[in-house]
Amino acid sequence: MGSWVNRQLATLGAAVRFGGAAIGFGVRGLFNKRIYPRHDLIVQMDYTGARSTVIMVLLGFLVGGSLVLQTTPSLARYGPAELVAGVVGVSVLRTLGPLLAAIIFAGRVGAGYTAELGTMAVSEEIQALDTMGIHPVGYLVAPRFMAAVLMLPACTVLFDLSALIGGYLVGVYNFGITHEAWMDVTARFVSMSNFTFGICKSVVFAMIITLVCCFKGFTVKGSGMEVGRATMQAIVICLILIIFSDFVLSMVYNFLVKMRIVD
Amino acid sequence: MSGSPQTSLPATGVESGDAAIVVRNLTKTYDDNVVLNDLTFNLERGKVYVVMGPSGCGKSTLLRQLIGAESPDAGQVTIGGVDMHSPDRKVRDEARRKFGVLFQSAALLNGLTVAENVALPIQRHTDLPQSTIDLMVRLKLELVGMGAASDKYPYEISGGMKKRAGLARAIALDPAIVFYDEPSAGLDPVMIGVIDKLIMDLTNKLGITSVVITHEMPSIFRIADEVLMLYNGRFVFRGTPEQLRRSSDPLVRQFLNGDPEGPINAPRQLAELSDRLLGGSRRAGNGDGLTGADA
Repeated sequence: MGSWVNRQLATLGAAVRFGGAAIGFGVRGLFNKRIYPRHDLIVQMDYTGARSTVIMVLLGFLVGGSLVLQTTPSLARYGPAELVAGVVGVSVLRTLGPLLAAIIFAGRVGAGYTAELGTMAVSEEIQALDTMGIHPVGYLVAPRFMAAVLMLPACTVLFDLSALIGGYLVGVYNFGITHEAWMDVTARFVSMSNFTFGICKSVVFAMIITLVCCFKGFTVKGSGMEVGRATMQAIVICLILIIFSDFVLSMVYNFLVKMRIVD
Repeated sequence: MSGSPQTSLPATGVESGDAAIVVRNLTKTYDDNVVLNDLTFNLERGKVYVVMGPSGCGKSTLLRQLIGAESPDAGQVTIGGVDMHSPDRKVRDEARRKFGVLFQSAALLNGLTVAENVALPIQRHTDLPQSTIDLMVRLKLELVGMGAASDKYPYEISGGMKKRAGLARAIALDPAIVFYDEPSAGLDPVMIGVIDKLIMDLTNKLGITSVVITHEMPSIFRIADEVLMLYNGRFVFRGTPEQLRRSSDPLVRQFLNGDPEGPINAPRQLAELSDRLLGGSRRAGNGDGLTGADA
């Protein structure tokens, strides 16, 4: 039992050092191209961001649409149906958008990180970088980290927009809510801070996804089967940490609203 | 040098002043299993050293301590006068500049072409213009006979070509020492001969110290200036290939002859296992069973 606790603490310590190194190298690499080539950052931004566009738009649209489809009949029983515009606006911008975009991102990009780095670990590529005097965290993790921190918020904006448009189209064309009423309710319920809060959360989620997935990839030992296991574990840990941090950040946000620091 | 293990145990080579690699009291333990047991030795400049021994004897563990991939529990590794396990990463990186490593799988980065792989350490450690780097890369690739494959990706080339490209990358910064981890693993005899010749050429023509981990017998006799045999975490033999050939040490003899029975205990455990699994049928029926297959 004691040795199990020691092992877990050692892993946690290694993960914290890994995270610190990734953040440090990520930021320093923006100014020093020796740490990672600028080209690698562009490639990673393309892989994590540009290539996630279609899935974000499509799923965002469907989530917004089905939210309105399922909420409007219940709302209409207690009041004006156009209130659904406020429900969609607030829930998508504050929680659903950042959360679902992060979950899609973890599945699409995070799993790829673990599998890719895990395979590199198994085939001694990470070890080779180290023996060449090239810090593997700086060379491999830092560009992925920076790309995710820049691109997940961008993906979240795209997901939010698509969900709002999807909700609007279903509300207006399926339930006959007028354009004016939809816009009026949206303006009354939704504030800019809903949006910025959601984007701030997506930055935290991006950090969680990259650090967890890259760390799990880096620490794969043994065979290709271990790569699969590490990928599965990485995604489970990501989902738990994302949902847990979403809860904590929502409490922080509510506290800030209560203290009138944000509106 | 040959003879009983007891007489060859304290082999420490030359005085440390002339040594490329100095190892003092190196000990490594996994859980309660002592894999390297208080090893002390020097390796001289400009020679080919072969470290051999049965599977699981600690060869790869020794290599990982030498190249700084793992920290030992006790002891010191000095490469070209620099402490390989210094707590200061800058010192360790300085030591790493003095050697290259050819990994068993070659460990080329799959996302980069062969030429980009070789260029990587040069780009990261020098301020040379790209045209000079390109020239250096071409020279290194020509040296290992890989000039024609420079634009190929590692997954497009054969195992032997990967090894040669890995070797070109290992010598990209003109290191004084090159470590080879099982360079002949998975290669055909002709390609093994090619790699052996490259190792000898690098040492004879460029004065590079080579440390080769292998148990490929023809290679050992072809390339080695000195052979070190590791068994149960200690060196049981150190000497020239000729001394190795004439050694009467039972461990060495069993290893050279590939005898399933002898003081090296792994085959015996296998024999016991096969006895237990196959019971009497092994003896009564189909010959040697597992022992024959695995010896």
